[in-house]
Amino acid sequence: MSDFVIETKKLTKIYGEQTAVSSVDIHVKPGRIYGLLGRNGAGKTTIMKMILGLTPITSGEVDVFGQNIKGHEKRIYPRIGAIIETPGFYPNLTGTENLEIFAKLRGTPRPNAVKNALEVVGLPYRDKKLFSKYSLGMKQRLGIANAILHDPELLILDEPTNGLDPIGIAEVRKFIKDLSVDRGKTILISSHILSEIALLADDIGIIDHGVLLEESSMEDLEKKNRKYIQLQVSDVPKASLILERQFHVTDYAVQDEHSLRLYDTALDMAAINKALVVQDVAVISSQICNDTLEDYFKQITGGEGIA
Amino acid sequence: MELNLYLLLTLLIALLVIGYLLAKLHRVRGQLSLIKDALADIKNGNLNRRVLARESDLTKQICYDINEIAMSSQSRLIQQKQSEQAYKRLMTSLSHDVKTPLASLVGYLEAVESKMVTGAEQEEYIRVAMEKAHHLKDFVTALFEWVKLDAGEQIFHFEVCDLNELSRDIMADWVPLLESHDLIYEIEIPETEYMTRVDPTAYTRILNNLLQNILTHSGARQVTLTVTETEQQAKIIVADNGKGISAADLPHIFERMYQCDHSRSAKGNGLGLSIAKELVSVHKGTITADSILEAGTTFTIMLPKAL
Repeated sequence: MSDFVIETKKLTKIYGEQTAVSSVDIHVKPGRIYGLLGRNGAGKTTIMKMILGLTPITSGEVDVFGQNIKGHEKRIYPRIGAIIETPGFYPNLTGTENLEIFAKLRGTPRPNAVKNALEVVGLPYRDKKLFSKYSLGMKQRLGIANAILHDPELLILDEPTNGLDPIGIAEVRKFIKDLSVDRGKTILISSHILSEIALLADDIGIIDHGVLLEESSMEDLEKKNRKYIQLQVSDVPKASLILERQFHVTDYAVQDEHSLRLYDTALDMAAINKALVVQDVAVISSQICNDTLEDYFKQITGGEGIA
Repeated sequence: MELNLYLLLTLLIALLVIGYLLAKLHRVRGQLSLIKDALADIKNGNLNRRVLARESDLTKQICYDINEIAMSSQSRLIQQKQSEQAYKRLMTSLSHDVKTPLASLVGYLEAVESKMVTGAEQEEYIRVAMEKAHHLKDFVTALFEWVKLDAGEQIFHFEVCDLNELSRDIMADWVPLLESHDLIYEIEIPETEYMTRVDPTAYTRILNNLLQNILTHSGARQVTLTVTETEQQAKIIVADNGKGISAADLPHIFERMYQCDHSRSAKGNGLGLSIAKELVSVHKGTITADSILEAGTTFTIMLPKAL
C-alpha cells in the first residue's frame, strides 16, 4: 500500500483570469480524518472536485490509492464515496427508493446495503416520505447515506454539516468520527469552522486564497494550543509542598523528576519563584505557555484569521 | 418457404442467446478481474477494500463473502488496536495520577523529618500526608479492580439470593456513615423475598460505588434508595439532591477516568462509576443516569430476574 490515500502534486485550477487553486500538495494518510480548513471561496470545494474528476485539472496531478486518477477512473471512483454540494436525488421518490437506484447502478458490497446505510445515518427504511418533503437535515443525512452505501474506503465530504442545527451537527460529527475510528475509513472533509475541524480531524490543511498555507497533524497543532506554567525545579516534592501550603495551589501535575505544570496561568509567578528560592528550591526555569489555536491561525493567515 | 422462415427464426433466437451469453461472459470476466485486484489489495493488508456486485451478477455471492471476510477481520483488527490505545492512555494517566500525589506526599514527609515544622503544624502535616497516602491506596486498588474487569479476569460467584435482603444489609452498613455526614436518607426496599441470581460482592460494590460517589461529589443533603421489582426485573434507584451533573458531562460519566471536575485537584479517581457500569453489565443489566443541575442526580439500575 502506498503511504497516502490521496496525494496531490502541484494541483492548480485557473478559471479564466482567476487562479482558484494554486499549486496545492495535500497528503491524506490511510485511516485518518483530513480536514481542509479555509474560508468560503478559499478553494476547498474546487480541490475536492478535481480529486473526484468533477472539474478538469488545469495543471498538476492527483494520485488516489497510489494511482494517478487519469486513466484509472473506472477502478478508483467506485472505491470513493462523496458529497459535494447538494446531492442530486429524485424529488418525487422516497429516500429508500432513491438509494435503491444508486445501489442498482453502482453495485453493493452486501445484501441489505440500503437498509444498512440508512440505519447508520438514522433515517427510517422504507419510509413513505418523498425526498421533496425532506428537511435540510434529512437531505444531508440521505446524502451521507448515499456516500457510504457501497462501503467505500475513502470518503470525501464537502461541508457535511452545512445547514444543520447544533444537535444535527453533533450527530453527524459523531458518525463521521465512528466511521474513521470503528471502521478504519479514510476521510477528507472540508469546513470553514475551526472548532469543527479541531474536534474531528487528525490532520489538517489550511487553505487561503487557493494556497495551502500549512499542513500538519492535529497532535502537533495541539502543542500550540496550551495554557499552563511549566516549572523546572531542583526538588519537586519540596516545590509541591510550598505550592500547596503557601499558595494553595491544587491544580498542578508532576511531569517528571524535575518539572511540574501549573494549570492556573494567573498565578503570581514572581512570588512563587521567590518563595521557592528562599526555601532552597532552585528554579531552573519557569515558562508560561498561553497560546491558542486561533492566535496561531491568525498568525499564519497574516492576521485575518480563519472562520 | 415455411421451413425457411422457421430456420431463420431459430437462427435469430440462437444468435440472441449467444449474444446474451457473450454479454454475461464479458460481465463475469470484468467482475473476476475486479475480484482479483481486490483480493491482491486485501492480501496486502487493505481490509477496507470491497468488491461491489449488482443484484443480477453471477459472482454476487462470491463478492459478498469476500467483503464479509474483509469486514470481520477489519473489525477484529480495529478492536485490538483500540484496546492497545486504551491501555496506553491508561498508563499515561496512571503515571500522572500517581506521580503528583506521591511527590507532594514526599514533600510533606520530608518537611516533618527535617523538623522544618513543629508542634501543631507538624501534626497537621502528618495528617495531610496520611490522607494523601490513603487516597493513593484507594486509587491503586480501584485501578487494579478496573483493569481486572476490563481484561475479563475477574471471577464472579453468582448465586441465587434475596435481593431485598442483600440491599438491606448493604444499606445497614451505610447508615452510620450517612449519619456522620449529616445526610438525610430514605430507604424503600420491599418486605417480600425476591430471589434472583447475582454475585453478592459485585452487587455490593455497585451500590457502594454509587453511594460513595454521592458522598464525595454531589454535596447532597438527602439520599434515597428505592428498590421495586416485577416478574421480569428489579429496578434500583439511587437518587440525591446535590449539585447535579451538567448535560455536557452526563454522557461521559461512566467512562473510565472521566471526571466532571476538570481541575486535577479533584478528589475521586474517575473509576467508581465505570466499575459500577462494568459490574451491572456482568449481570446483564443496565445503568443510566439523569440529572438536573443544582437539583440532583438519579441513577437507575435495571437487573433482569434470573434463577
